[in-house]
Amino acid sequence: MSSISQVIAMINRLEADGIVERYAIGGAVGATFYLEPVATLDVDIFVTSRPEPEKALLSLQPIYDYLTARGGIIEGEYIVIAGWPVQFLPSAGTLVEEALTNAVTVQVEGIPARVFTAEHLAAVALQTGRAKDKARLLQFVESGAIDAGHFKAILNRHGLDNQWREFERTFLSGAK
Amino acid sequence: MTFDLKRVLESKKALRRKLAARPVGEKLAMLDALRERALALREAGDHLRHSTVHEAPEKYRPVQNKEKHPKR
Repeated sequence: MSSISQVIAMINRLEADGIVERYAIGGAVGATFYLEPVATLDVDIFVTSRPEPEKALLSLQPIYDYLTARGGIIEGEYIVIAGWPVQFLPSAGTLVEEALTNAVTVQVEGIPARVFTAEHLAAVALQTGRAKDKARLLQFVESGAIDAGHFKAILNRHGLDNQWREFERTFLSGAK
Repeated sequence: MTFDLKRVLESKKALRRKLAARPVGEKLAMLDALRERALALREAGDHLRHSTVHEAPEKYRPVQNKEKHPKR
């Protein structure tokens, strides 16, 4: 079993035990479910939690407590599981919320793993907009891994049409 | 083997397609290996930076980006 599969198994337990309401894998590891693998140093896990009545903001402390009790090691913003730094990202914004809701379950070596759809991964990459996100978005476009109609509908719902036009103009104009 | 750029680019594209089509479990195992390699390269780069004689004094050198992730 790969180390990432061990991370996924642990996150499944975290969800099954009710520490988070729902999780989904995003970032480069999520993209690997659809594209060729690209080197990454960490695992991004997006989570929703049941809101605590007295707290306006989601606390990651219960997640850290749960995982450190099971061998996880906190290092800065990360918790290291099976040798991989894992970052938990609370669902912030309507796009990520929708991505979490629509995430799909894929079996990995007999372990269920919930991952953002290719179209949501591409839309989140466009919204995030760092150089490496743009590179990932190009990978999605060039590989044909995304459904254009579904992708554009997501962009439209979340006000990303202008960003997409700019991206197309910069990176895809003249592309065959 | 060829130096024809068009064919080189086509073969790269074909390799990417082939890798993308591998089973997810296999691709995730590749991420483990790629990460090991990336960390080894990064450590080698750090060593190189610190073992190089610089013309500019420390305070005038460009600031390196902070680590995004904790070092092992």
